[in-house]
Amino acid sequence: MTTAHAAGSRKRAYRAPAPLGGRGGPVRQRTRTGSRRTRTALAFLAPALIILAVFVVWPMVSALQMSFTDASGFGQAEWVGLDNYTRIFTDPDIRDAVVNTVVYALIFTPTAVVVALALALLLTNDRLPLRGLFRTSLFLPFIISLAVAALAWSYLIDPQVGLLHYWLRGLGIDLGNVLQDPTLAMPAVALVAVWKNFGFYMVIFMAGLQEIPGSLYEAAKMDGAGAWSRFRHITLPMLSNTTAFVLIFALIAALQAFDQIYVMTGGGPYGNTQTVVMEIYESGFRKLELGFASALSYVLLLATLALSIVQFVFFGRREEES
Amino acid sequence: MKRIPALVVAPVCLALTLAACSGGGSSDSDGPVELTFWHGYTEADGDVLEQIVDDFNAAHDGEITITTQVNPWDVIDDTFLPALSADNGPEIVAMPAERLPVYADRGAFVELDDFYADDESTPDLNPGALDMVTVDGTAYGVPTGFVPLTMFYNKALFDAAGVAVPTTWDEWVAAAQALTVDENGDGTPEQYGLALADHATVGNGVWPTLFYGNGGAIVEDGRAVVDSPENAETLEFWHDAVTAGAISPTGVDGVTGDGLFSSGRVAMYIGGPWMATVSEENGVDYGIAPVPAGPADQAASAIGVSMALTRQADQAQQEAAEEFFSFFLSREESVAWALGSGWPPLRTDIAADEVDENPVVAALTEQAELGRPLLPGVVNSTDVLTAVDDLTQRAMAGEPVDDLLAQAQAAVQAALDD
Amino acid sequence: MSAATLRATPAPAPAPEQRRVVVAGRRRVRLSTVLLTAAVAVTTLIVLLPLFIVLFTAFKPTAEVNAYPPTLLPDAWTTANFDRIFTDLPFARLIGNSVLFAGGVTVFAVAFDALAAYALARIDFRGRRTLLVAIVATLMIPFQATLIPVYQIVSDLGWVNTFAGLIAPRAADAFGIFFLRQFFVALPRDLDNAARIDGASELRVFWQIVLPNARPAVLTLAIFVFVNNWNDLLWPLVFTTEREMGTITSGLTQLTGPGGIVPYGVMMAGALVAVVPLVLAFMLVQRKFIESIATTGLK
Repeated sequence: MTTAHAAGSRKRAYRAPAPLGGRGGPVRQRTRTGSRRTRTALAFLAPALIILAVFVVWPMVSALQMSFTDASGFGQAEWVGLDNYTRIFTDPDIRDAVVNTVVYALIFTPTAVVVALALALLLTNDRLPLRGLFRTSLFLPFIISLAVAALAWSYLIDPQVGLLHYWLRGLGIDLGNVLQDPTLAMPAVALVAVWKNFGFYMVIFMAGLQEIPGSLYEAAKMDGAGAWSRFRHITLPMLSNTTAFVLIFALIAALQAFDQIYVMTGGGPYGNTQTVVMEIYESGFRKLELGFASALSYVLLLATLALSIVQFVFFGRREEES
Repeated sequence: MKRIPALVVAPVCLALTLAACSGGGSSDSDGPVELTFWHGYTEADGDVLEQIVDDFNAAHDGEITITTQVNPWDVIDDTFLPALSADNGPEIVAMPAERLPVYADRGAFVELDDFYADDESTPDLNPGALDMVTVDGTAYGVPTGFVPLTMFYNKALFDAAGVAVPTTWDEWVAAAQALTVDENGDGTPEQYGLALADHATVGNGVWPTLFYGNGGAIVEDGRAVVDSPENAETLEFWHDAVTAGAISPTGVDGVTGDGLFSSGRVAMYIGGPWMATVSEENGVDYGIAPVPAGPADQAASAIGVSMALTRQADQAQQEAAEEFFSFFLSREESVAWALGSGWPPLRTDIAADEVDENPVVAALTEQAELGRPLLPGVVNSTDVLTAVDDLTQRAMAGEPVDDLLAQAQAAVQAALDD
Repeated sequence: MSAATLRATPAPAPAPEQRRVVVAGRRRVRLSTVLLTAAVAVTTLIVLLPLFIVLFTAFKPTAEVNAYPPTLLPDAWTTANFDRIFTDLPFARLIGNSVLFAGGVTVFAVAFDALAAYALARIDFRGRRTLLVAIVATLMIPFQATLIPVYQIVSDLGWVNTFAGLIAPRAADAFGIFFLRQFFVALPRDLDNAARIDGASELRVFWQIVLPNARPAVLTLAIFVFVNNWNDLLWPLVFTTEREMGTITSGLTQLTGPGGIVPYGVMMAGALVAVVPLVLAFMLVQRKFIESIATTGLK
């Protein structure tokens, strides 16, 4: 590995392909190398694309087909046109689930990203002793399954037997029965997911931080920039790609929240933690309305896609500015 | 549904070349008829069921072979639906009884009216249990368990407090108050008189039981009847009793409730037969009594388990399965099943004294007639139960009961109309 | 982001002017360093609390699990919660299955994802942006919606209850492709272009230049895939009906207690048993993993 290629290499990288297929060469050769490159690319892509086509895309097509039927998963299904879709937009339970999912995403996504970034900054600080130990420890929750995390946290905050509940009471904070509390239940299930996942995001941020050339900070220091100013004008812009990446995947995960909610609250109290994917699961696997569940899944997909595009555009613009 | 041709995936197959293929149960023209049987009995009951199946296989050597596979009740919906969708599921499946109607309604199960019409093979069974396998007047299953929720109490705690076992609601609340202890006065009692587990319980029956006690119900003859003055009284009575005296923790689910009783922190608990085993394992000296009678009635919601025959079974397999059902319901096997599983016998002609070698079963057998089936024949039990949970949890949190009942009524009726 | 660097020197911390205090005579430590260390240490302890709860509750008798006031450590340590795990379950077999399943998925998925990511990051071909977006879009449908169709395909192939059925549907995944593509894109192009001019094949560039330089990213993805599959409950449960084909995670569902209810202590013991091999495996690679990320970055 080399340290010689510093910040400028990206610009050169963009120019580099020119001698192989750029403007200078004759047209015929360009198309020939172009198609050869496409063939090579396809060869590299083939194993993954075959798997994805058979086990992801084809099932998605099946699900799309089912979304226009009253399929229950077995037996005969009848075509019902857009009935499932119109039901989605008229059913008050679905509207509530959408609201809940948005609330969940608004709690989970920023919290997870901020916690991960903050800890990544702390853990790349040279003055911190025992960095290796802290890094490993803080990554450990990621190894636990979300279901086990949910069980452990449920137990910790249980008002009858929970240690954390008991300790907090000792400090004068009575949380009551968090998972049965209509206002606290959603933050609780969202924070459990933050706890489980921040370590992974943190590692990605740590990697991104290492990419920022130290010389930038040195120069800023010499110009008299303070810590906040350096964070605001160097760290954040230089990390925007990493942040965009983490945000998009945190958002996708948030919009599909299910596991810990299923274990901790089952969607309660009074449906206050009932998310869209909880509805999809219940429709499909409990009420045997797979057609409806499929339609709801497609609406979720489109909504996620739209939000991701908004994010891409937003971060793309920021990237150009910086 | 269309399927993808196997050819497309052949490269993957070659790349992996891992294991041999395997299919589900089948019935070749020669050899015995093979049946697969999924159930969720994992405890002592599982061992007895295995024994019954083994005995059946031995009695039909060369003709019928049943293979059992354990699929815990918690996950049976998750595994059964995919298997059904691909035609490689079991021929016989046991499931929580309130889950049967939705599968029957979607055409997953074989009708069993002819089986029941044959008096020789089908004895008189507990009518509540039969209600739970009946959808729109057609029988789709054979009950494997039906037991009313019952009250378990901690004898040591009762003795210490000098309290008698309650038989009415008023006595019940008074006993619970006497048995609730908050020594350090911090508002969290170290010991509760009662634990009313109100959600995520096996059988979902605590609140239905309380409603029955005051003459109320949730669904009757396919109509929602939640919004009744009786139910309003019930909710107010228990809200006042629980909040005023802190006699029971609120928002307790089945796991926590079982844990609190088995660790001796709760004097009275409404649960199923397994609480006997749980108590014994944890050294709790327990007694069993019927759920105390309400002002109007003494009744308890029952926990049911039913087995059904899936449409994947061909003619020979259907006949073989019915043969097994008859065997399972025979007098001898019924007694063995009751004693081994700890649940009361399903046949009405087996009296308590025939199963008194297991005192728990004998006690439960005497209570069997108190059992009311939970939402029999209701296809969308999922939404009905959610509506009941909403209602009771909000009511216990102190929201005005009348509005809640009206909402619950609408939600339950909507689920029934679905 | 302009930096495609592979720097060995860590970035200097954005530290303001510090007041220095004298600690223990010899070493001069900044006050802010002490505060920083304390803050991180407290955070770490809070983060680890649920893990300690799993660990200690697994060794508590039921009465203590439900006692009030609750305690962190067991008063009377017991291994009773573990008894049934080792007696009722084909334990070694389940762990072996977990290793084969999670390991198999990891090997195939990382390999196929890396190949695909290379093409998307380093080879200019028409439509690669569209393809990339299409691949990411497949992540946006919840798996609950496609589980039934996937099962039907696996069943048609006759792969229910086989490792092929468990592994093949996950032998490539969109997240991994996108993840690696992000890191491959940022590697300096000079290296591979030089190699191409020297006549190296794309496969060689991939294998000898891109892959070695992206080792931390590949390792991160491998950990991600392995952990997720090891912990997955529903997948092995649905795709294997024979007990002997289950994984440790799915096998633990067979341990339902009386009435289908599992006491907390047993749940925690099960969780502990399932996660210990994972923690051990992680400890083996974590030095390479986290240290390499911390010093070289993922890219």
